[in-house]
Amino acid sequence: MTNSLKESTATSTVTTPSDREIHIERIFNAPRDRVWRAFTDPKLVAQWWGRGNKLVIERMEVERGGHWRFVEHSPDGVHGFEGRYREVTPPERLVHTFEWDGMPGYVIVETATFEDLGDGRTKVVNNSLFYTSEERDGFLSSGMEQGLNQSYAALDRLLMELD
Amino acid sequence: MSILNHMVQYSPKVDMTFAALSDPTRRGILTRLGRGDASITDLAGRFDMTLTGMKKHVQVLENAGLVTTEKVGRVRSARLGPRRLEDESAWIATYQQMLNARLNRLEDFLERTKGAP
Repeated sequence: MTNSLKESTATSTVTTPSDREIHIERIFNAPRDRVWRAFTDPKLVAQWWGRGNKLVIERMEVERGGHWRFVEHSPDGVHGFEGRYREVTPPERLVHTFEWDGMPGYVIVETATFEDLGDGRTKVVNNSLFYTSEERDGFLSSGMEQGLNQSYAALDRLLMELD
Repeated sequence: MSILNHMVQYSPKVDMTFAALSDPTRRGILTRLGRGDASITDLAGRFDMTLTGMKKHVQVLENAGLVTTEKVGRVRSARLGPRRLEDESAWIATYQQMLNARLNRLEDFLERTKGAP
């Protein structure tokens, strides 16, 4: 068992393609179906996601658009995490957003792909993309502002008609 | 036994950073210190807070390694700590540590339940 742990660790790689992106590849000594279930079955998620802390799964709707909300009880306090599933393609690909209550508005898009290595092992490729304030600001100054102005113009017209 | 050790393993440093970052005032302090050092008195004034209240916030940030303080004469000044992370990059670094801790736990879990249906 110790050997397999070492082997798995040795095949783990972490890269940061940009300072807004974290890319982790890791090989787990388990078949793909089990790894998929470990990510999508609340009873299994509760046993590892909390890093050893108590984890309360308040919501977990594993379907496109479904919500998830986990609350971790760590020695330093209670931390809530939540998001929405964007893509659920068993047993290959899972995409969801991730937000921590402590940093509201800082959305991370997590994409996990599961690759069957054919020898009872599974490669998990996890990519985390951060949408930060700078990017949101960029978004605001581009198309969104225009869209917002159009909405306000429409609201103005509506209010005029109400007069 | 080794698995049991893994089970109780978590990163206290990650949790301290979480605790430090979870407060908007403390994130504001980090952003302010990112622009330059400041005395505790300056910070208290800027954030409209008592000196005692500000000292507590700075202490939490100092414990997490995000801020260091130094007393020169009668003035205690604060600067970004050895980890030199401002709020956003501190969050990204904390997230990365947490993600790694989660995947370690997943590895332990899959080993522990090997052969289960």
